[in-house]
Formats: sequence, C-alpha cells, structure tokens
Amino acid sequence: MARILFVVPPLTGHVNPTVSVGRALAARGHQVAWAAHPGAVGPLLPTDAELLPMPEHVDADHAAAIADKARTTRGAAALKFLWEDFLIPLARSMRPALDAAVAAWRPELLVVDQQAVAGGLVARARGLPWASTATTSAGVTDPLAGLPQVKRWLADLFADLERAAGLPPSGDGGELSPHRVIAFTTSALVGPADRFPAHYRFVGPSIADRPEAAAFPWDRLGPRPRVLVTMGTVNVDVSTRFYATAIAALAEQAVQVILVAPPEVVGPLPPNVICQRYVPQLAVLREVDAVVCHGGHNTVCEALARGLPLVIAPIKDDQPIVADQVVAAGAGLRIKFGRVQPPELAAAVRRVLDEPHFRTAAAAVQASFTAAGGAAAAATALEELLP
Amino acid sequence: MTLDPATAAILATVERLVIEVAGDEITLAGPLTLTTSFNADLELESIEFVALAEQLQAHYGAQVDFVGWISTKQLDEIIALTVGDLVTFIAART
Repeated sequence: MARILFVVPPLTGHVNPTVSVGRALAARGHQVAWAAHPGAVGPLLPTDAELLPMPEHVDADHAAAIADKARTTRGAAALKFLWEDFLIPLARSMRPALDAAVAAWRPELLVVDQQAVAGGLVARARGLPWASTATTSAGVTDPLAGLPQVKRWLADLFADLERAAGLPPSGDGGELSPHRVIAFTTSALVGPADRFPAHYRFVGPSIADRPEAAAFPWDRLGPRPRVLVTMGTVNVDVSTRFYATAIAALAEQAVQVILVAPPEVVGPLPPNVICQRYVPQLAVLREVDAVVCHGGHNTVCEALARGLPLVIAPIKDDQPIVADQVVAAGAGLRIKFGRVQPPELAAAVRRVLDEPHFRTAAAAVQASFTAAGGAAAAATALEELLP
Repeated sequence: MTLDPATAAILATVERLVIEVAGDEITLAGPLTLTTSFNADLELESIEFVALAEQLQAHYGAQVDFVGWISTKQLDEIIALTVGDLVTFIAART
C-alpha cells in the first residue's frame, strides 16, 4: 500500500476528476492526500480527505483583478493571461510549500494536474515518480503546433521555473510527466492512441456522481424533444447576447428549452423556455435530447456520456479545440459565440435533433467512454508506477 | 487621415471580407480603420480567422498566406495585430 499525493490548481474542473481517482485508490488500500488551496479546493474534496494546505493568494485586490481579467479576455490574450498572470505565479507560490509538504508527508508517487506545474518541479528535484493528469481532451493535443514563436515563449517561461528550482532544462513539453500521462478522454475525440507516446493512458472522463443541490421544476417539462442550453457558470457576464439569441432562435421551435442563466439578465421568457441560474445538470441531462453549450470539457463529456449530440459555441481557451474534436467525431456542430444569429443557431439545433447520425456518433463516443474504464482505469495506470 | 488609393483599396477589400466572415454587426461600432485590433476591437473568433484566411487567399491568391504569416508571429504581436498590419502584409505580397 502506497502514499499517493495529488497536486491540483484551485480550479474546479481540474479538481473534480481527481476526486473519483483518489476514491478508487483509497478503496484499494492506498493512502491518498491532496496538496491544494483550502479555500477553493477544500469544499470540492470528500469531507474525510487529507488536504496539505498550499498558500492562498495573499492580496485580495490582486486576486479580484485576476478574476476580472479571466472573465473578460479571449483569444490569444487569454493564453498570455493564463500563463503569465495565473499559472506561472501559481507555480512560484506553490513550489516551496509543496516541497515542504512532500518532505513531511513522504508520498511515493505524485499525481500532478497539467496546470499545477509546481508538482512536476518538486517531484523531479526529489527524484520521485510522478504522473500528469490532462483534464481536457485539448490538453494532450498540440494546439500551438502552428505557432513556433508562441511555443518558444511558453518554453522560456517554463525554463525560468526550472532554473529557479535548480533543475536542468527539460525542453519542449517538460510540464508533462515522462513517466505517465493520464488523459481524461478517449481516442474517439483525440484520435488514435498510437499517435501518442506509449506512457499516455486514455481513461475517458472521470465524472463524479456529485450531489446536486439545485431544485428543478420537473412538472413543468414539456414533451420531447428537449434542449439544454448552458454556457457554464463562469461565463454569465459575457453570454448575455448569446442567451437572447438562443431564446429568439428557439422560441418558435417545437422544443422544450432549459436555459441555464440568471433570469434577471434574460428578460421575458417564451412559454417553451424554463430558465434557472443553476440546474441539477446530471439529472437534467437524463431528460434532454441535445445540448447547446460553450464547449467546456466537463459539460461536453457529461453530454457525450449520455450519448447526447451537441451544438457548441466556444468562447475561449481549450473550448474551440474541444468543439472541433466533437465535430470531427460527428457528434455535433460548431457555431460562432459572439456573432451567431438566431436562424443559424436554430438550424444547428434542428440538425442535431433531426439528423440521426449526430446521435449515432455521440453514442459511439459514449461507448468509448464506458470501455475506457474511467477512474478505475486511471487508478490502475497509477499503481503501475509504484515501486 | 487620408490614405493613398492603393492602401484604401486594400482596406476596403479587407473590410468587405471581414464582414463576409463575421457578419454586418461587426461594423456597428464604426468602419474598419488601420488601427482596428483583431483581438480587442473585432474579437474575431478562431473559426472566423480561418474563414478570413480562406477569403484572402481566394481573393488575392496563394501568395497572401494569412495563416503562414501569423505562424511567424510572437504572442504579443498576435494579440496586438491590427487591420493596418494585415493591409501592409497584403500590400507587400501583391
């Protein structure tokens, strides 16, 4: 039985998949802990989980400015912001605390989220085996392949971190473990596994059967087909126009719409739209026939895990890549986020509902998820690294 | 500022192609100028960038390789890219 330490950033989507994997490892008798920020990550972990606290961002004004910028930047500016303003400072602040935590807790294996870069630095400096977890299906592709100068910018930022940690430069892609990469996706979305190095394992999404507190008026649900429209909980500020477009597009359609948005920004609702700020998403997905969303990896996987076709309007970050993967798999359509017009959105929704090949392709992705093994397969792939 | 006729012609073509890929709404805040930023002002989406690159090649021919040109850029240059940068690039290739 081994001591296994998860290292995660304070980002919900990156923590959630590790919870089921940690549970699976604990059930096999291993001792599991998380090195994480208590404020943001503590509530996401099981109540009996061991948490090794990482330093919170000290300056509240700075944290607020960062959060504000995170909401509003898009495109190339969002990539610069993510690394220069968030992930690199996060790695700098986490590394000394993590090193001390590792010295005290003495893990035999570190499981490091792709964006918690400090984990790999500490494991390398201490000669410990470590695995990377790639939370999104965009994380194992090479989105910067066509942009060599941008790749070099990222490599330089990473080399600075290595230098500060007293490590030799690992070169391009050194933020991922050379021992094992656990990708929470399947070849149905990212392409054949033999295109990746042998230490990559594709285990499918690790969807936690999380408790869902939000209420929902089930008795108001009209007949099928039904469509869930959600742009993610963090994109509400930028999505006002999209909500209005979706309502205009679907008001005249013979569909039941469930729109996840603050009712006060949406205004008067047509009779076929139910609008709530929060919904019990896993329960709602059991009752709908298609999903319109921004391409957040969790929502996309939860929809595909139920075999639901998608219409994706990506906003930023990995979302355009995820959207293109879903389109390539045949399980949905991509539309524009900022400038989509109601007829275009309505036509895309009609197509994924009316043309059965979208549902067939989504079912094929669903089957690949089931076959990949999820959290149990991830736990096995991690056990293989133990001494 | 008055533009020389060649520059003005390229700018007009770029504006027409941008409207074609992104829709009329994109010029609601005013016509495109040489200082209009693709990222901050137009918020051009990646799918629209790809479509614009195709339109530029269809109009000007293979020598106006927008995607190839972007691939040589630094991240800060991509973020700051303006319509004027593109017009200068097109002028040099045509």
